[in-house]
Amino acid sequence: MSVQTTALVFGHVELRLAERQLLVDGEPVALGSRGFDLLKALVAKRDRVVGKDELLDEVWPGLVVEENNLQVQISGLRRVLGARAIATVAGIGYRFTLTPGAAEAPAAAPPSAAAVLAPARVLVADDNKVNRLLLCRSLELMGHQVSSAVDGREALDMLKRQPFELLLLDLAMPELDGFGLLQARAADPVLREVAVIVTSALGGVAPVARCIELGADDFLHKPVDPWLLRARVESSLARKQQRDQQSQVLRRLMPNGPAQASRLADACVLVVGLNLPELPEPMQTQALLSDWSTLMLDAVDGRGGEVAQFRGDGLTALFGELPAALGGAQDMAELLASFNDERRAAGQAALAIGVGIARGEVVVATVATAQRAAYACLGEPVLRAEQLAAACLLAGQQMLLD
Amino acid sequence: MKLPRINADTFEALQANAGADFVVTLVEAFAEEAPQLIEALRAARAQADAERFESAAHALKSNGVAFGAVRLAEMARHLEWQGASAASEAVDELAAELAAVLSALRTLARRT
Repeated sequence: MSVQTTALVFGHVELRLAERQLLVDGEPVALGSRGFDLLKALVAKRDRVVGKDELLDEVWPGLVVEENNLQVQISGLRRVLGARAIATVAGIGYRFTLTPGAAEAPAAAPPSAAAVLAPARVLVADDNKVNRLLLCRSLELMGHQVSSAVDGREALDMLKRQPFELLLLDLAMPELDGFGLLQARAADPVLREVAVIVTSALGGVAPVARCIELGADDFLHKPVDPWLLRARVESSLARKQQRDQQSQVLRRLMPNGPAQASRLADACVLVVGLNLPELPEPMQTQALLSDWSTLMLDAVDGRGGEVAQFRGDGLTALFGELPAALGGAQDMAELLASFNDERRAAGQAALAIGVGIARGEVVVATVATAQRAAYACLGEPVLRAEQLAAACLLAGQQMLLD
Repeated sequence: MKLPRINADTFEALQANAGADFVVTLVEAFAEEAPQLIEALRAARAQADAERFESAAHALKSNGVAFGAVRLAEMARHLEWQGASAASEAVDELAAELAAVLSALRTLARRT
C-alpha cells in the first residue's frame, strides 16, 4: 500500500497524506504547506530524533533557509497538536511523540526523556566472558553501538583512543581493576566526560560508596536485570546529554575555555519567570513545568539566544542584540498564548509570565566542582532584568524593558 | 539438595530477553570459560591464594545465577564464602555439578 493513500491516526490527531489534510478531534485544521511537509517528515521518522538540518532539507528542499523558520513551523504545529506532540532534543532536533492508534485506545504514558535519546557508543569492560557477552547483547538490543574490553587496562586504552558516551565497568578485573580505572578517569578531564555505570557482584555498601566517590554515575548489582539495565543506561545517558549541552553552551559563551571567565561588554539579558495560579499536584506540576520550559527554551533557541541559567520555573538567557531579545520575548508571549488556549480548553487555569530585559556589561564564569558544573552570569543588567520580570508578574504585565 | 539444577523460568526469561540463538552462543562461551575457572579454583587452593580463589568462585556464582543454574550458584557462593581453605572435595562436587549443568544448558538451549 502506498503511503500516500494512508490516513495515520495518533489519538485525536489524524493525518490524511493523500489529501494533505490534518484533522484534530475530527475537525480539519488549516495548516500551511510547509507546516504539513514538516509534520509529514516528523511522522515518517517518528522512531527517532530528526535533526534540524534534515528537516530543513525536507521542508525547504534546495533552499538555504534560516533555522528560525523551522522554529516558527514547529511552534505552529505545537499550537494545533498540543505542546507535547513534538519534543525538542536541544542541540539535535525534534521528535514526534504521539502514539499511533485510535482515540479510543488507552492513553500511553508520556514519553520519557530517555525515549528520545539517540543511540550511544558504549564500552563494556568485564573479564568474565558470559557477563561481557550478555551485557553487550542487552545494549545492542537497546540500539547502542557496543564495544568490549576484557580488562581494565584494555578498557582504559580504548577510552583514550576512541570516543564513548558510556562505560559499563566491572570492578574485579585483572591488570587494572574497576577502582583503578575510575581513579584514572577522575584524573583525566576528557575521560571524565564518559558516563560510568559500575556493574559488580561485590556485596555491601562500601564498594558502591567508593565508586560513587570516584565519580561513577550509577551502580548495578550482578546479575544485571535487563529492565533495570535499560532504565539506568537511559537515565545515565540523559544526564550525560544534559551535561554535554551545558558544556557546549559554556564553550560557545567562553571560547577561551571554561576555566576562563569572560566579560561581555554589551549583552542583552532576558529573564522570564512563571507565575502559577495555584500549585497543582506534584505530577501535574512536573508535566506543566516541562511543557512550559520546552516552549521558553525554544523561544530562546529560535532567536539565537543562550540560556545561562535554568530553574524550571524561570530562566535567564543572553542575547547579542536587542532585537533578538525582544523577538525572544515576543515568541514567549505567543507560545504561552497558545499553551493557555490549550489549558483553558482542558478546563485549566491560564498561566502568566513576566519577562524582563536589560542591557549592559555582564561577566560569565564557570562554577565547577568535581560533581557539577554551572555557569554564573553576573552584573547589573542581570539584577535589573530579574527585578523587571518580578515587577511584571506583580503588575500583571508581560514584558518590561529597561 | 532440594534446589533444581536449572530454574526453567530464569532460563526462559534469558532466552526471551537476549534471544534464543544468542543464548546458544552464550552457553558455549560458558562451556569454554567455566572449566578454566574450576582449574583456577584448584590452583588457587593449592597455593592458598585467597583472592584468586574467591574471584573464580565469584565468577562461577555470577554465571550460574545468569543461567538459572541455582544449585551451581549456591555451591559457588558457599566456596566463595569458605575461601581457599575449602575442602578439595567441595571443588570436585562443584566440577561435577558444572558438567551436569553444561549438558543440561546445551539441551535446553537447542530445544527451541
